[in-house]
Amino acid sequence: MKKTLLILAISASAIAFGSTAHAQDSAATNSEIAKKYATLVYKDYQDAYQDALKLQSSIESFLAKPNEETLDAAKKAWLVSRNSYGQTEAFRFYEGPIDFADGNGNEGPEGRLNAWPMDEAYIDYVKGNEKAGIVNNDGVEITAETLTDKNQADDEAEVATGYHAIEFLLWGQDLSLDTPGTRPASDYADTPENKRRRDYLTVVTNILVEDLQFLVQSWTPGQDNYAKTFTQDEDALSKILTALATLSGFELASERMATALDSGDQEDEHSCFSDNTHNDFIYNQQGVANVFKDAGIYDALMKQDKELAQKLNAQINETSTILAALPNPIDREILSTPEGSEPRKQMELAVSSLIEQAQLFKDAGKALNVKVSINE
Amino acid sequence: MHLTRYALLTLSIVSFTASANYAWSAEKDTNLSLRVSDSDLSGGETTIHNTSREAFAKPLKNLPMTSLRDFTFGNKMFNTKWVTAPASVTSLDGLGPTFNRMSCAACHFKDGRGQPPRNVDSPMKSMLIRLSIPGMNKNGGPMPHPAYGGQLNDRGIQGVPAEGQAQITYTQIKGQYPDGTPYTLQKPNYVFTNLAYGKLGEDIMFSPRVAPAVYGLGLLDAIPEETILSLADPDDKDGDGISGRPNYVWDKINQKKSLGRYGWKANTPSIAQQDADAANGDIGLTSNLNPDENCPLAQKECMDAVKGDHPDISDKQLEKMTFYVSTLAVPARRDVNTPQVQAGAQLFERAKCSSCHTPQMRTGFHNIEALAYQEIQPFTDMLIHDMGEDLADNRPDFQANGREWRTAPLWGIGLIETVNKHTKLLHDGRARNIEEAILWHGGEAENSKEAFKAMNKEERQAMLAFLNSL
Repeated sequence: MKKTLLILAISASAIAFGSTAHAQDSAATNSEIAKKYATLVYKDYQDAYQDALKLQSSIESFLAKPNEETLDAAKKAWLVSRNSYGQTEAFRFYEGPIDFADGNGNEGPEGRLNAWPMDEAYIDYVKGNEKAGIVNNDGVEITAETLTDKNQADDEAEVATGYHAIEFLLWGQDLSLDTPGTRPASDYADTPENKRRRDYLTVVTNILVEDLQFLVQSWTPGQDNYAKTFTQDEDALSKILTALATLSGFELASERMATALDSGDQEDEHSCFSDNTHNDFIYNQQGVANVFKDAGIYDALMKQDKELAQKLNAQINETSTILAALPNPIDREILSTPEGSEPRKQMELAVSSLIEQAQLFKDAGKALNVKVSINE
Repeated sequence: MHLTRYALLTLSIVSFTASANYAWSAEKDTNLSLRVSDSDLSGGETTIHNTSREAFAKPLKNLPMTSLRDFTFGNKMFNTKWVTAPASVTSLDGLGPTFNRMSCAACHFKDGRGQPPRNVDSPMKSMLIRLSIPGMNKNGGPMPHPAYGGQLNDRGIQGVPAEGQAQITYTQIKGQYPDGTPYTLQKPNYVFTNLAYGKLGEDIMFSPRVAPAVYGLGLLDAIPEETILSLADPDDKDGDGISGRPNYVWDKINQKKSLGRYGWKANTPSIAQQDADAANGDIGLTSNLNPDENCPLAQKECMDAVKGDHPDISDKQLEKMTFYVSTLAVPARRDVNTPQVQAGAQLFERAKCSSCHTPQMRTGFHNIEALAYQEIQPFTDMLIHDMGEDLADNRPDFQANGREWRTAPLWGIGLIETVNKHTKLLHDGRARNIEEAILWHGGEAENSKEAFKAMNKEERQAMLAFLNSL
């Protein structure tokens, strides 16, 4: 038994010794990719932040003069801001600023920005319960602090803040397959009974903007911030690939797509109030593609394993093509169709393509000599 | 120490030569160790490295990607807030008529640990009270209260009264370490209010239970029964004052008595039954394992309110939920190699805490391949032990008497604060932190507690640092 161990130890050190030159190459690749990646992350968070500012001003205009037209403008601004945020989800899953606010384990803003699925009755009235939610509970003061504290305080479905909270406040429940939610602008008429709902919408939007601002600051180049740490992190490439594999294989394929297919529950649509779920998929995938190309992962991979680089590139393109072709809205065109239907098959293809994509990101990790784990 | 090293080396060789089909089950003596490992992999190859609020919510590290779909579907079931039947989504209705919470995740928040209410007037959010009267039901389990059933449902759907509520006040108990350091423990007292069906009666037996964390349960399921039984010493033949024994409980799936593994008194044999029983008792959901609504005969409003299709949970849904709970990973240990933690580990062994909180075990065959043949650090022997008068609930549960509790697994204990924002421990959450939990130990654990108390302050800190590293 001891002999076996000795042999193992010798062969292990031999491997380590022989790979020194290779390790230097890897370090250079890692550092180069980390820098390009940081630039991309900054740019994408900046986009999401700018679009959130536009959403904020649209909501201000809506509340100043609540009618169907101003509500519509606010909804359009939400859709734009949502899509630009969607691309940034490729920057999650490695304890970066979105998940961890600092090095001391304090939570980042992800749960405040994007918690889902949500029990909308936690926020405002729903069919069958006109008095539901924080909006109708005078006992809760509507401030950034209370809403932040109330977000998923004792129950994961009790979402009080973020994109989906704003989405629900603008659209209302999606009770019909024909249209998204049809909340009337009159819900926000400037009357005493609507005051709390108006305040809620303002406050929850402010929180969103502030959180995005924090992310921009964390990634602003040339400052003493997370971006600086990241560009010097020898595990940067490992983190980047882990994020891409996790978003593809777990979050998108399983959590957001397969579960919706399996449960047949409209609530399992990601953006169920606005019927924007198809774009959630498309822009998440776009985020993956952006990192793959713009951060130089494709180029690095081409040097190490040309075949794998091309295969992964083709797989990403294929996923994007399938997602773009999915009929929408997802609830009506796919989820409400019977098992085995053509649209369901299409969405299943997207799921398999994403899983294959995640597997190839793991393989890319091996080729580039870094550890890639999924959803750890 | 030599022993531990030896065991570890043996294990690492086995993992290198896994393809040679090394027969672990044949090596009985290596299926467990009472020595603390210095590996950070609490769950073997299933271990995830995560120290965030999601530390208890991740799938097994080695779960194949194709299984993630079942995991996320189960997760959805776990998080679903069930609604009153009939509702637009008929697959997810059937709440109540009486219940404690509307979803699994409401009590097992972020798959972690529940706690008692922070104030006397606040409702229970992640704990409940089991009820029974003297005697046994036909399966050898507790005899439910004729009017209130097996537990107090403190909520009801519209038109159905809640059974009642329980309020907790605490009596402060002052104590002192031999070195003069004072401490205060708080002992809970319970008052029942708003009882909808009259008094509970003089012979009521009740047991407050905080929702335990649900990660790592699949690995506990994969521990071979013979490994657990090899630790039992019901007559204390080795004379160490510790006499753990198995609880044999009614197995609804196999329709026979089986080894109990889950629940505060090891009163449930399998994850599937645990899920189905909690769904029925806590949320009011029927399933093929529990076809009857949770409505005692005396509660007419409850019976009259039953609507919708039955069972509320389909076999497929229960299967996915069970898969989810079975495949939640145990997070890796932290700071394993700091001198303080290593010193604490030695003190833990020396105080014989490891006699019940078994540091190392090896899982056996399991249908979920990722769980099989893993070197794990559960820190439980899965047996029930007399924990003394102070912790007694005086309510038997199958073969567990009113003083016996199952050894709680300690893996992940140091991350409860991160995930659940509290450090409350023990079956009723009375201990405000790990130190208090140790001080509440009595009965078979009396000597270990005294050993802890006799340590100097630095040693006690080291032991707590060790426990927090788990």
